[in-house]
Amino acid sequence: MNYILTRNDIPKVLEKWSEAYQVIAPQKYSNFSAFLPYEGKAEQLCLEYPHNTRYPPKALFLPQSEELLKYTKDGQASEPGLDTKPKLIFGMHACDTRAMTLLDTVFDAKDYQDPFWKARREATAIITLGCDEPCKTCFCTTVEGSPFNRQGADIIMTNIGEAFHLEALTPKGEKLCKGLPLATKAKDRKVAKLQEQATISMPKAFETEGLKATLDANFDNNYWEEVQRSCLGCGVCTFLCPTCFCFDIADEAARSKRYRNWDTCMFSVYSKEASGHNPRPSRKERTRQRLMHKYSYWVDQIGKIGCTGCGRCVRYCPVGLDIRAMLREAGTLPVEVTHA
Amino acid sequence: MTDLETKLKAEAKRLLDEHLVDVFIGFRKENAPLHPQPAFFTQSDQLDDFVYNNLCQNNLAKFLTRYPRETRIGMIVRGCENRSVNHLIVERQHPRENIVLIGVPCTGIYDWRKITQRCGEEISSVEITSEKILVTTPKSKFEFEPKELLHVSCARCSQPNPINADLVIGDPVEAKDPARAKRQVETFSGMASKARYEWFTHEAERCIRCYACREACPMCYCAECFVDHGAPRWTESMVSKAGMQTWHIIRAFHQTGRCVDCGACERACPMDIRMTYLTEKLNTDMEIEYQFVCGMDDKTQPPFAAFTMDDKTRFVA
Amino acid sequence: MPDKQTSPYTPIPMHLLRSYPESVDGLLRSVELSFDNPADCKAFYKGYNPGQFCQISIFGKGESAIGIANASWEGDFVRFTVQRMGVVTSALHQMQVSEPLGMRGPLGNGFPLDEWKGKNLIFIGGGSAFSTLYATVKHISGSHLKKDFGRISIIYGTRTSGHVLYKESLKRWHENHEIDLFQTIDNPEPNWPYLVGFVPDTVRAISPNPKNAVAVVCGPPIMTKFTLPILEDLGFKPDAIYTSLEKRMKCGIGKCGRCNIGPKYVCKDGPVFSLAELHTLPNEL
Repeated sequence: MNYILTRNDIPKVLEKWSEAYQVIAPQKYSNFSAFLPYEGKAEQLCLEYPHNTRYPPKALFLPQSEELLKYTKDGQASEPGLDTKPKLIFGMHACDTRAMTLLDTVFDAKDYQDPFWKARREATAIITLGCDEPCKTCFCTTVEGSPFNRQGADIIMTNIGEAFHLEALTPKGEKLCKGLPLATKAKDRKVAKLQEQATISMPKAFETEGLKATLDANFDNNYWEEVQRSCLGCGVCTFLCPTCFCFDIADEAARSKRYRNWDTCMFSVYSKEASGHNPRPSRKERTRQRLMHKYSYWVDQIGKIGCTGCGRCVRYCPVGLDIRAMLREAGTLPVEVTHA
Repeated sequence: MTDLETKLKAEAKRLLDEHLVDVFIGFRKENAPLHPQPAFFTQSDQLDDFVYNNLCQNNLAKFLTRYPRETRIGMIVRGCENRSVNHLIVERQHPRENIVLIGVPCTGIYDWRKITQRCGEEISSVEITSEKILVTTPKSKFEFEPKELLHVSCARCSQPNPINADLVIGDPVEAKDPARAKRQVETFSGMASKARYEWFTHEAERCIRCYACREACPMCYCAECFVDHGAPRWTESMVSKAGMQTWHIIRAFHQTGRCVDCGACERACPMDIRMTYLTEKLNTDMEIEYQFVCGMDDKTQPPFAAFTMDDKTRFVA
Repeated sequence: MPDKQTSPYTPIPMHLLRSYPESVDGLLRSVELSFDNPADCKAFYKGYNPGQFCQISIFGKGESAIGIANASWEGDFVRFTVQRMGVVTSALHQMQVSEPLGMRGPLGNGFPLDEWKGKNLIFIGGGSAFSTLYATVKHISGSHLKKDFGRISIIYGTRTSGHVLYKESLKRWHENHEIDLFQTIDNPEPNWPYLVGFVPDTVRAISPNPKNAVAVVCGPPIMTKFTLPILEDLGFKPDAIYTSLEKRMKCGIGKCGRCNIGPKYVCKDGPVFSLAELHTLPNEL
């Protein structure tokens, strides 16, 4: 069912929700915004920004640094407790929400399940805030998403000016909306039109039809040498990306704990072996890995592109590299039948 | 195209057409607003996208260490970049005879973070004239004077003119802060130590260990950075207080006497962390204690890298 | 008191049972680990397939992915032959018997023994990579499984006689009429009774018959690089040639992302791949 949440009601509704959940919402942080625990200061909420937080909310499910186990001197290892505290994310964009469903296929796979990820996912309800004015640097519609995509959301929220329109999508969502005034059919129609307009307003950033085949056929093309020339090999694109999940595991002897930390295929030591051999010795191989992983290997593995078009890598790359331009150019490469 | 861009492009074309360089490093038109991209031209017909303006925020000297010593590199350098190149030559990273420097007296880099702070992060276009900068967003228009947007390193820059470029295009620019009167470091040094540590902690706690600062810096070219060492292990990899603070402090110390205060590190940081106050403090100490300013020529060794018989040895065991 | 293990990142508690040098220069050492809990041992061998590996865990140092070097019938322990390379392997070399450590496994796919039933098996190994081939031969020839397979041939090359692993087992295999064992070293040595020459040249000289046979190549990348074309020349088809790959690994279960070749993870979809399968993957060895 559909409900209305007026701007005036937001503080009291968030307070009510805070009784059962820790509410996390995008709020002012430094010179921009970040997902932070809501502490009753409604004026800190950033629901109007036309763009996203810089640091991605995947950190709420896969913390950048996370304890895997602690150990004693006589080799007894014990696992940390799982984070089962109920949380409610209020205002995550559709690209980020959908990204979590993609990461579910990695961390909640048939063969091995990651208990830390699973516990947080099961304990967290998500109210997705759709984008009524998608940014120019976003491209969710190009990669099988949309500004009002419903995948992974318990409620989808649309900004209608004086209020937000809430569409409950799951039983959890319905429960959250209990007590809110119902939306009228007129409002429903207005919202449907708004959502449609926002979606069709987004131009296609690059052609995805045949893209995987072109990338696969051009693994050895000199294009990869050219495209990486200005790349610094830092971790900004991968760390800010909501679908990147690679991590390193390190023992912190001073803490007697084993941690996992976000890692990136863009760093040179990422795949460097103990013998010194590095299968990806230069930025050429590493940049190729990043693009191929997202737009080819993910497709092999789950049939979906491993990118939700949030645009963070485009906005914050220190040298202005734009993945959309890189893929547009890659898409023009010849597809020759190469000897396997 | 501005007059400067036209002249720079012509010089690039000449150097490439006459095979005087193997690669010419400059900038090309941005894809996403606010970020013109470093560009590596090997033929003059690639110069269609060439741009050069105050939004060109990367220190191009970074790319010098990517090429083998035999590569003849042409590069556009502003004051700080010239000094970075000089110091890289001192550190034997590339021979001077294989570098052609096209100098540009610098009016300062506009800090893209100042623009997004004031205008929001959805920028449609930026128009730069000599008097003002016009920023257009989907909903609004903003007008800035250059001094409002200068990156903090540029606002206090004392070496805007290239020092020993082979050719200089443009008229010399007056240093913004010749008396170094407004240095951030003086504010920082003037604080009580507890307040200084709080400032440092406040900045470092936003760090996400992406190492964009390290990668943007021309002086960070180590094949293996200390953070990647396993044995001995110098610092935690985590986003813990200890890990992040150690990272920032040790990187700053590794820059002592090598940093030209270009500010590329800060501009690369996606979390808007301030860092130049640390390197400025260390550089000022070098100046006061050792009368050394990095990059003023391409011959003088920095005090910590060289040894002479009349060295002060107060702290060397 | 350890919590019930729910996490695939938590190692099985083990202790160091035995540790002995394998090579004269001390770089190669075999370690045998015992299980703290018998139930863990039972579960381990229930799922074990030779060719698999474990992440050996030394708390405070880290983990290292090493191939399992024993057959399930050998006892309630797990053997690994470890080359001293970095932080973890150095610590493992220096460990004293009865010290605690951890182990996660068995991981990976191991050799597809079911697909090899009825075939002659040609194992070609070099250096320390011989360990999983050794485990496989023991697994088959020392158990009822040997009737399921044809003739077993082994070509094993080492730099010198001092680098030969598992000397006692190899002595027995030389005397075993059901196994054809060819050993070779790089350069001649006095009193060396076997072959001299690099492994690829030795394979060419011995010229194994590809008919109804499978060749398994496990060695340093350079050995594999030169051996594969020789096998193809001899008539082995790509789907009858297998190899075991190595990559930098961390999680070992296909979650941390780093050991991929194209869409396949060496830890989970490998480390054993047929040459036919490798041909479908990008060249990123």
